[in-house]
Amino acid sequence: MAEVSKGIAEKWGLVVDQDRCTGCNACVVACSMENNVPFTGEDNVAFGRGTYWIYNKRMWEGNYPEVAPAFQPVMCQQCGSAPCEPVCPTFAAVHSEEEQINLQIYNRCIGTRYCANNCPYHARQFNFEDPNIPEPMNSYLNPDVTVRRRGVMEKCTFCVQRIVAGRQTASAEDRSLRDGEVMPACVAACPSGALVFGDLSDPNSRVSQMAQNERQYKLMDELGTRPKVTYLKGGGRNGG
Amino acid sequence: MAAETKLFGKLKTTEQEHEDPKEQLMFDPRPREELNRMVMEMMTTTTRKFWLWAIGLGAGVAVLLFGAWGYMISTGMWVTGLRRPIYWGVFIVTFVFWIGISHAGTFVSAILRVFKSEFRRPFTRAAELMTTFGLAAGALYPLIHLGRVWVFYFMVPYPNARWLWPNFRSPLVWDLLAITTYLLSSTIYLYLPLVPDLAMARDRTTGLRHTAYKILALGWRGTEAEWFRLKKAIQIFAFAIIPVMFSVHTIVSWDFAVSQVAGWHSTIFGPYFIIGAILSGVSAVVTILYVLRSTLKHMDYFLRPEHFDALGKLILVFSMSWAYFFFNDYLLGWYGGEAAVRQILTLHASGPAAWVWYTMLICNIVIPWLTLWNRKIRRTPWLMFIITLLINVGMYLERYTIIPLTLGHQRTPFDWGVYTPQPVEISIVLGTFCLFTFLYLIMSRLIPLVPVWEVQEGQVAHTLRKVGKAEVPSVTELD
Amino acid sequence: MSDKITRRNFLKIAGAGAAISAVLTGCGPMSRYIVRRPYTEMPEYNQTGLNTYYASTCRECAAGCGIIVRTKEGRAITIEGNPQHPLNRGRLCARGITAQQGLYNPDRVFGPIFQARGDTGRQARTTWDEAIPVVSEALKSPAGQIAFLLGTAPDHLFDLVTEWTRSIGAPAPLRYSALASFEGRSTLQEAANRTFGKPALPYFDLANAEVVFSFGANFLETWLSPVSYSAAYGDMRQARPTRRGYLVAFEARQSLTAGNADEWIPIKPGSEGLVALALARLVAEARGEAAPAAARSIDPAAAAEAAGIEPAKLTDLARLFAASEHSLAIPGGGAIGQHEGLAIAQAILQLNVQVNNLGLPGGVYLTNTEQPTTSLAEVYNLVQKMNNSQVKVLFIHGANPVFELPKVLGFEEALAKVPLVISFATFPDETAMLSDYVLPDHSPLESFGYQRMLAAADRPVYSSIQPVVAPLYDTRATADVLLTAAAAAGSPLPYTDEVDFVQQMIVPLISAGGFYTAPEIQTFWSRWLQYGGWWVTEQALDTDISAASERPAAFSGPATLEEDKQFYLVVFPTQLGDGAGANRPWLQEMPDPMTTLTWNTWVEINPETADKLGIHDDDVVRVTTPYGALEASVYRYPAIRPDTIAIPFGQGHTALGRWAEGRGANPAALLPAAVNEAGDLAYNDVVASIALTGKRRPLARVESREGVYGEH
Repeated sequence: MAEVSKGIAEKWGLVVDQDRCTGCNACVVACSMENNVPFTGEDNVAFGRGTYWIYNKRMWEGNYPEVAPAFQPVMCQQCGSAPCEPVCPTFAAVHSEEEQINLQIYNRCIGTRYCANNCPYHARQFNFEDPNIPEPMNSYLNPDVTVRRRGVMEKCTFCVQRIVAGRQTASAEDRSLRDGEVMPACVAACPSGALVFGDLSDPNSRVSQMAQNERQYKLMDELGTRPKVTYLKGGGRNGG
Repeated sequence: MAAETKLFGKLKTTEQEHEDPKEQLMFDPRPREELNRMVMEMMTTTTRKFWLWAIGLGAGVAVLLFGAWGYMISTGMWVTGLRRPIYWGVFIVTFVFWIGISHAGTFVSAILRVFKSEFRRPFTRAAELMTTFGLAAGALYPLIHLGRVWVFYFMVPYPNARWLWPNFRSPLVWDLLAITTYLLSSTIYLYLPLVPDLAMARDRTTGLRHTAYKILALGWRGTEAEWFRLKKAIQIFAFAIIPVMFSVHTIVSWDFAVSQVAGWHSTIFGPYFIIGAILSGVSAVVTILYVLRSTLKHMDYFLRPEHFDALGKLILVFSMSWAYFFFNDYLLGWYGGEAAVRQILTLHASGPAAWVWYTMLICNIVIPWLTLWNRKIRRTPWLMFIITLLINVGMYLERYTIIPLTLGHQRTPFDWGVYTPQPVEISIVLGTFCLFTFLYLIMSRLIPLVPVWEVQEGQVAHTLRKVGKAEVPSVTELD
Repeated sequence: MSDKITRRNFLKIAGAGAAISAVLTGCGPMSRYIVRRPYTEMPEYNQTGLNTYYASTCRECAAGCGIIVRTKEGRAITIEGNPQHPLNRGRLCARGITAQQGLYNPDRVFGPIFQARGDTGRQARTTWDEAIPVVSEALKSPAGQIAFLLGTAPDHLFDLVTEWTRSIGAPAPLRYSALASFEGRSTLQEAANRTFGKPALPYFDLANAEVVFSFGANFLETWLSPVSYSAAYGDMRQARPTRRGYLVAFEARQSLTAGNADEWIPIKPGSEGLVALALARLVAEARGEAAPAAARSIDPAAAAEAAGIEPAKLTDLARLFAASEHSLAIPGGGAIGQHEGLAIAQAILQLNVQVNNLGLPGGVYLTNTEQPTTSLAEVYNLVQKMNNSQVKVLFIHGANPVFELPKVLGFEEALAKVPLVISFATFPDETAMLSDYVLPDHSPLESFGYQRMLAAADRPVYSSIQPVVAPLYDTRATADVLLTAAAAAGSPLPYTDEVDFVQQMIVPLISAGGFYTAPEIQTFWSRWLQYGGWWVTEQALDTDISAASERPAAFSGPATLEEDKQFYLVVFPTQLGDGAGANRPWLQEMPDPMTTLTWNTWVEINPETADKLGIHDDDVVRVTTPYGALEASVYRYPAIRPDTIAIPFGQGHTALGRWAEGRGANPAALLPAAVNEAGDLAYNDVVASIALTGKRRPLARVESREGVYGEH
């Protein structure tokens, strides 16, 4: 344990500034691109099987004409005390020691879907069918990320492949990771800069600073899941 | 054998006063050999109807269960009605249902045996068989519902090349262990009292059957020492299997209770599920007994209104207990005031699927409470058949309410969903009903469904004695 | 090329230049001079397991964001924003990301096709050797009878074609897409011309503004340059520690931008001009200044009433606007795409004059003065000429007019009268299916080129385009086809091929003061490819703006409706853009931000109105305008005026591949052919009626209707 985490005391976290978030859903597509998330077609979306690792939970506030959408992009919250982990019979939902995030081992998953039931954020998606990606579209599949077959759960990994790649680059150059060097696909794409990613164990990182913001809250904090995604409340009059 | 002789007190109700004790099986003894003959006939008589049923059910198992399951395995889980956020549907509902059914055997057999309830004697085996086959049908579901059933063995703890041990924190592993234990112990518990009857059958058959019974009877000769050991073993198992039975359904309930799902995370789920299981199981025993009585030769001798009556009383008690637990679960969930739980409870009663909830209450509470207080109804087998069938419909809907309906309305309204079982799911569910019935049907012709030695033992112990002018039933307590 | 630049030098340049990604020049797949070698001698860019990054430009809309494509073993894997690009600064929108689904789309045109017109069953593959003489022959037609219709973006192809048409005296190429018309680019430019005396596209400094009034500008989703405006929006909200920008949106149907606004003022379509004038007057009063001439005669209360809002609200907003030091009013496509659009745009720009933000941070600047697009009016002229059989040859590239243009315009019929139609489409779109030849261009990720003049850039930018993968199919760069054919036709241009053309075009940039320079073109070229273009380091906006003389304006106000029978119709572009995005399954599956709907067309109706008319969710209704009709399912949308209905643009394809075809309905059928004074489509003051068809077709929504709307 001590050897494993020697020099690596990362605790990756994400901040979602809802005041910046426009709800444009670029993150959704960026995530699909990076993580080989399959498109499922109209019928499946209508049936509640659209696969999104991150999606905007758009609720409405107020009544016409004071009506406004309340956007809340929700991805796996990478809980410190994750409800999905203990219920998996095969250790397919596991906690990574190095990154302090919650990962899904597709090879181990037997598809009990218990984790998905137990996730209060509904962040976990089930592969009801094999991805239907006609040739030559398979060419754009990201070789760093497994293409999941049917019968397994999947979910946001904070783009762990990018974290690993970033760490390897840094270690090859004999330095530590710079703040902002590693960005998940959603963070990289976000046009309005609503998503900020970084190491929460570094008190000076941008993400740590932002997580201290007085607007901060966590999703369903009362459940004690200790999420690593922090939301900053949006809206409000000047100075909000 | 006789240790103590007890006299029954004078029965109070006028109706019972007029009842002829001869109506009771125990006071209507027949010679031992005749009983044996009756049971043998029961086993060996096969009508055309029987074969039609057997073929039909066999085809049902092949097509509805294995055909549909095979289709689902080969094409994927998309054929189900599952969707975000409802990842468990009728598979798990039916799983819980069958596990519930399987409680009856143990309950009727072991608990009544331990408490020396004499009315149990003719149908312990029928009930135990239900346990085994109910479990067999139910235990399929944890496999059926897997997204990748071909690697189900990842769940099994054995040293393996993957260097992986299953996660013992997961209730699903507890499930696996509990169900396996229960299946094993209930099978042994079914087998032990069967040995003398198999020996009886061995002595009265020829050919292949004879050989099979010979092997299965383990050389039983009926010596005093054998009887002594057998009874000891049954006694031990009867006691030991009761906690196993409680553990199984408690663990099944923990699948739900240990989760974070609003509406599942309830401390009362353990006993609530057990009571529900027993209610459902005992009802199913009555249902089956009615079917046996009306289809098997000589069964009306062994199964009499008194048995329906006694089981009816039990069902009424369990229906009330179930109502108590249900009320507790519901009231405190509502009183607790957690928004999500309240929302779920409100939607159960007023949402689009409220009919499920109301039907459940009508079947589980209204119908038994309105009918089962009445001795006449309890003693009318076909009425009992209908009532118990309805109770099991209610119990099925209870699980349906708890699983897909609760999952569909969790904490984020954006993600609510409606689940509709799809043809393949329904087919598989029907398939396991076929499987259960099929196995039962076949077994009814392979083993004596009535534990004939237990009936004989009871009939020996029960006598009518003259006390003054009156004939008073008396029973010699065994052991 | 590689004899000039060694790999070592590449790495030096790359290391020095690229901030985050190692950007290599396109020595690999970019090269048409490919040397075939056994695979055992793998080129370095093709090492298994190593990424190669290429900087290029997104061609999914006309904004022109810089992208960096990660390739691995010769395949384009991921697309991200170019962090150094002055427009998008590393950000990218959903459309840009899906470019690879265009590249690897299984429904592309695999090679040159000849087809008996309109009869796709009789199409036949041809070869380039046969096709180029056809083009060459076509180019020999009389100069006046050759027409080019290109996409909106001012790219190298436009420059090449312009040069060629100029050299032979043919009409200049037209640039058109539905999106440009929805955005009202021409109107915006003309309004700037009339208000400030300079025909330039205004630049709105959103990031530094404090109070922003948006009139129908959906700049967060589709308008002009959504990525750069989204970034500016984020900064407007949260980049300043003490001041949070305040956004007010005036539009009848709440767009994504209005949804993010602090206040959404649902005014009637057609009342934008009145509201702007009334605001101008109230703002002037609040600032204690004389009202501008145009606004003097307006009665704010009457204007508010005509717009369907509270007069007090207007006064409050005017005070807010007047009180802030950095107020900004933006005339968007919804407001200016009307009959009186030009005057409306002027009235809105006038608000900026009123608070004196011209050329100041948080205010209005002007950018370059080149025409940002061809107005629809000029496309009408072309159609007219086609109808009169004055066009012998029509070349179409990057546009799909059969799908995009209003149906009443009759482009399809006019097309039938053109003897030779040559399409350079990458996809078998509606227009390509009606052409004689489809001579497919490379997909943008296989092409060379550049795009200049980015609508929302704050400085001169040339954004470079380079291939990131070797062409997958038997496609050929349109520029090459034209150069070869023109040479054969006897009207050659002095370029050997496309790359030569691009290089010669950027030669002036070497000494134009960009952030890098080079002694000669080859070195410059490699940096140009490496950085993804050329631009200057400093903001270079035209701050010398002053209001020209104002003219009094009068607005007729919104159309009067027969209540519950007639509705204002809002047709709005979505993430599918001008419809070209419909064959990208990711875009189809991406939930529409406001409705969470996917994969189809819907009709938005206020639930209150729907209740009155007995319309339920997913009911199929027939929407009829004087110009046409369509059928689509209803989405009861709470954020729309009760007297308005809205339909998204982009679906309803009859061609364009498996994901686009037969899906939804095309609202181009509902649009008029009318244009405003500046020549942009007057699409936003159409009155429609709806009728139930008795059919139901459930829409694929991601949200739970029960959970969100409490309906079962």
